Parts: sequence; structure tokens; C-alpha cells
Amino acid sequence: MALAFITPVAAQPPGLVVSVATSVYDALDEIAGLYRATTGVTVALNAGGSNTLARQIVEGAKAGLFISADEIQMDAVEKAGRIVPGTRTRLLTNELAVVVPQSTRDFTLAHLFDGRIARLAMGEPGAVPAGVYGRKWLEREGAWRRVESKVIPFPTVRAVLSAVEAGRVDAGIVYRTDATTSAVRVIAIMTRKDHPYLDIAYPAAVIVGPSEKDARRFLEFLKGPAARAVFDRRGFGRPDER
Amino acid sequence: MIDLSIDITMRQGEFVLTVRDRASVEVLGVLGPSGSGKTSLLESIAGIRTPDEGEIRIGDRVLFSSAGNINLPARDRRIGYVPQDALLFPNMNVRANINFGRHAEGDFESLVKILDLQDLLERRVTNLSGGEKQRVAIARALMTRPSILLLDEPLAGVDRERRDVILPYILRIRKELHVPLIYVTHDEAELRSIADRVLRLGPSR
Amino acid sequence: MSAETWAIARFTVLMALLATTLVLPPAIAIGWLLARKTFPGKTLLETVVSLPLVLPPVATGLLLLWLFGRRSPVGQALDAIGIEVIFTWKAVVLSMMVISFPLVARSVRAGIEQVDRRYEHIASTLGAGSFRILRTITLPLASRGIAAGAVLGFSRALGEFGATIMVAGAIPGRTRTLAVGIYTLVETGREDAAWSLLLVSALLAFGAIYVSNRLVAEGRP
Repeated sequence: MALAFITPVAAQPPGLVVSVATSVYDALDEIAGLYRATTGVTVALNAGGSNTLARQIVEGAKAGLFISADEIQMDAVEKAGRIVPGTRTRLLTNELAVVVPQSTRDFTLAHLFDGRIARLAMGEPGAVPAGVYGRKWLEREGAWRRVESKVIPFPTVRAVLSAVEAGRVDAGIVYRTDATTSAVRVIAIMTRKDHPYLDIAYPAAVIVGPSEKDARRFLEFLKGPAARAVFDRRGFGRPDER
Repeated sequence: MIDLSIDITMRQGEFVLTVRDRASVEVLGVLGPSGSGKTSLLESIAGIRTPDEGEIRIGDRVLFSSAGNINLPARDRRIGYVPQDALLFPNMNVRANINFGRHAEGDFESLVKILDLQDLLERRVTNLSGGEKQRVAIARALMTRPSILLLDEPLAGVDRERRDVILPYILRIRKELHVPLIYVTHDEAELRSIADRVLRLGPSR
Repeated sequence: MSAETWAIARFTVLMALLATTLVLPPAIAIGWLLARKTFPGKTLLETVVSLPLVLPPVATGLLLLWLFGRRSPVGQALDAIGIEVIFTWKAVVLSMMVISFPLVARSVRAGIEQVDRRYEHIASTLGAGSFRILRTITLPLASRGIAAGAVLGFSRALGEFGATIMVAGAIPGRTRTLAVGIYTLVETGREDAAWSLLLVSALLAFGAIYVSNRLVAEGRP
């Protein structure tokens, strides 16, 4: 019994650790499964907020690959000299969506722009990437000043979705990829075509360290057709779309 | 025989204790009402309290000297101390308490016999009577073959009727083991049968 | 309970046990020092010891991340001899240790302060040196307080999250504890899976507190 206790600690296989932003975790989990099925290699996924993940890598955490939810965190990692030159790439894109509780009727974007709303859930507009983009969009629409006082900030997009699902707020701004998997109604999607200034991109890069070779191989797989199919199905955009 | 020389001053807030005495006796009685500093005096001799200034000597051994910057730690003084509430170690039984001392080279059998502790040896110390605790504490102190034994109000925790039972034990120690005693009490009658000399502490000092 | 839940629970308990075992000797030493000794800088020591109790755990995690990272002398020295801390089980144990240390040290201190110093004085008149007194009188008489402190530290370690996720990450099978697992599952939209982890956490916490209370109750005469 004691031995059974010890083994999870002793048998730690050294392997590729990928630090991945929470919003892409599900997709990466599925792709990692495919990767293991085709190559036999196990990839360990470390999910978290992009700022936490970036901080860990800057301080020397031995992640092999980093997939961030925004460019700012990747810039920080690059500035600290932790990226293998030439490996940084735009892996995915995403779009914002406005969602409301499923029971809500007669809600349109006009309600939002006119400020005819009591509570709007968003990621923290100063810090969380989804919140930063959300504010940018509202500013562009000239609605930020009217809406600002109605904003309820949340630390994560998951929290925003929970609030909308539970009906604690009237509407929320989330990623399109999150909206399709939750029990909420999508009112609008801010497409890249119509809103090119909302350049929501997920950069990926190989991190300097012992797992460089494995990371490169996995990154190639992520850019390949099998992974792309998974991303497409989950609503992520392709990097060449600008 | 004790050749004890004490010249100390202790201050605690408003309270000042000054003792100057020199005695060469077998049993030194220390008499004084409660609050007169009897326990502080014993603690100073034993080494668990440090006087503010002065000197304590036994024979040629200087135990404490403020002028000479000497303060021998208690564990090196070879002075046995039986405190007022015995203070037997609660996590050990009677036998372990008696044998605790570092130089526990005393004659265990004979001490047990003199103090009548045969039936108590395996008992936990928490259930003993006041008198029983005192006798165990005395045995514990004597096991280390101290050069002096300090007794702080040994009959205080004992019922009136039983006092006449305890006193003979103390006399037996004096008689059979020849250990010099310093016997502290507020009751003059106790000292009548045992002390060679009496040091009086009081408010006038 | 699924195999994965069992594995995570087993890992968390093992790490918490290890952390508590490693934290006890220094916590007893510091607890004794604060209970029995006065020295210049004592208040400073008390403050430093209490820091992990007062800082948000994530701040403690950040400090640990820096301390064992590649930019600190400690991290560099460890790297030079091939010891990896960040993102490994060692980081889990370290976070648990740092977070629970003040709780254990304070309990030890309280337990020792309750031991009548006169017992220690009498022991010294009987010729015992400081270490022997500590070993045979002080610690045995303070044992209930120490045990309660250990259980308290263990419970805290079981639930530790903020510092752990910073310095150990959330890697399944390697550094994912119960608390980290619950958070990650909720964050990635898998709340249903989080419930079984939550149930196990609650049962473990219940068990630990029960044991702690029994320890305290048995102490009462």
C-alpha cells in the first residue's frame, strides 16, 4: 500500500509540457489525444491565465511550448529571451461574441449601445485580454461611456459565462469559441471582417530548453490538418485571416 | 555540614530582598511569613533565579558572584531542590521521576525504603496525595547525591493530621543520609525539632 | 470514484504528509525559540514567520517562483546540480510547507508556552541540559499542542492552491492537486468533473478536523 502511494511521485516521466491559455485548453486536450494516438508521445498540458503562464516561463519554468491568449504576454516572454528565435507564430484567431441568458427575449445590440442595460459582464477591462478587446469594441462603437458604469468586471471568461448562464447579469462579452459550448444565447458575433481592429490572436512559440525538439515537432502538428480540423470545429479562426 | 555564605540583593518591583548570612550547620531553617522572599532565596541558591547583586558560596565553591561575573548554571550546582508543590513530571511515573537526575547514582533501594515509596513506584504522579508527592520529590532530588537539599515548605501541601507522619521522614534523611538541609517555612514549630539554626526573613529587612 | 480522482487524491495526501513531516522540525525549533527565549530581533522573526499567513497565497507563490527560478542565486545553484523545482512535485511540497509553516509554528509555540517553566527549572537542578529538558520534559508535555499544530498544517496543505498553482503549475499527473484540479476543471468548463474532486476534498478535510478535535478532547481531564 505504501509502495502504491509512492509510485505516482517516483515514476515522473520527463516529457513535453505545454503551457496553454485556458480558453484553448479544451481544443489542445483533444489534439494532444490525437498526437498520442499517432505518435505515442504524451504531451502534458499546463492550463492557466496567460499572464501567470508567462510569468512562470520568464522565471525559468521548463515548459516546452507556450500558447498565449494575447500578444502582450508573448512579448514579455520574448523580451526575457525565453523564445527560440524564429518559432513564434500566430496559431489561431478568435472573435468576440455578445451573449445573454437563454431565457432572455428581445435583446439586441441596440440595447447595449444605448446603455439600456443594467449589468454587463466582461473580463476585467484593464487586464483580462477578452475584457481589453471588449472595451476596444465598445469604444469603437462610441458606446463605452454610456456602458462603462454598467460593467461588472470578472477575472476570467469562465466567470463571465457562469454569470450569464445563471442570469446574474443581463449580457456578457465572451469569446465566440466559449459561447458555442455554453448554455447561453448568442446575440452577435464581432467578425474579423467587420471588425479588423479586434485582432484577437493566439501566438505560439517554442521555449528555450531541453524540450525544444519535442516542442518543435508538436508545434508542426498543431499547424497540420488534423489539429486544424479540431480548431475549426470549435470555432477558432485560422491565422491567415486578417 | 553546610558551609553556606550568602550575601545577595534581589529587587522585583517594589520588593527588595537582602540576605546576609553565613552558616556552618547541618540544618538551616529559614523562617518568614509568606511574601517575605523565602522561595526566591531558595531559587537563587538552586540557580534558577539570578540575584541582582551579591555572592553565594558553599565552602570554597562560588556559585554566584555579580562582581566576579560568575553564575554557575543550575545543572552544575549539585543542589537538590524540592519545591513547594513537588512539581513531579506529569508525563512520567514515580519510578521515572526518581531516576530522572543526570547523576542518578544514589542508592535507589535505600531511598525508596527510607521514604516508604515501594507501593508507589509504578503509579502515575497525578493521583498521588500531597504527602506522597513530597516524598517522591525528595527521593528524586536525593538520587542525584546533592551537596545540599533545599526544602520549600515541605509540609504546606499536607493535611494537619498527616504532618507528624511526614516530619519523621525528613528527620530520617538527616539522620541516615547526612545530607545538609535548608528548610524553609512560615511555621516556627516545624523548625523547633529539626533546625540547628534559624535565619529569619521579614519585612523589617 | 474514478481512477483519476483516486490518483489525484492519493497524490495530494502524499504531498501534504511529506510537507507536514518536513515542516515539523523547523516549526518546533522556531516555536520553541519564540516561546522560551528573548533575543534582539525577536519581533522581526515573529513577523517573518507570520508572513505566509498574512500575504495572499498567490503573492507567496510569486516569491517562491522567483526564489527557485532562473533569475535567483538559489534557483541557479539548484539548476547547476541538476535539481528541478518549478513545475515538479517538489514545488508542490515547498508551497505546502511555506503556507503551513506559520500555522504549525504558532501551535507549537502556544503548546510550549502552556508548559509550566518550573518543570524545566526543576529538571535543570537535577542536572539535565537544555536539549535533554526539551526532549524529555518540554516537548512531551507540549505534545498535544504540537500534534494539533501538525494536523492543522496538514489540513491547510491539503487545501493549498494559490501558491501551488503559481510555482508548480497544473500539470495533470505531475502537479495537479485536488485544489488545483478543482480550479482548473471549473475554469475549463468541466464543472461536473470538479464535483467528485470536491467531494473527496471535503471528506479529507472532515477527517483531518475530526482527528484534530479528538486530539484536543482527549487532552481534557
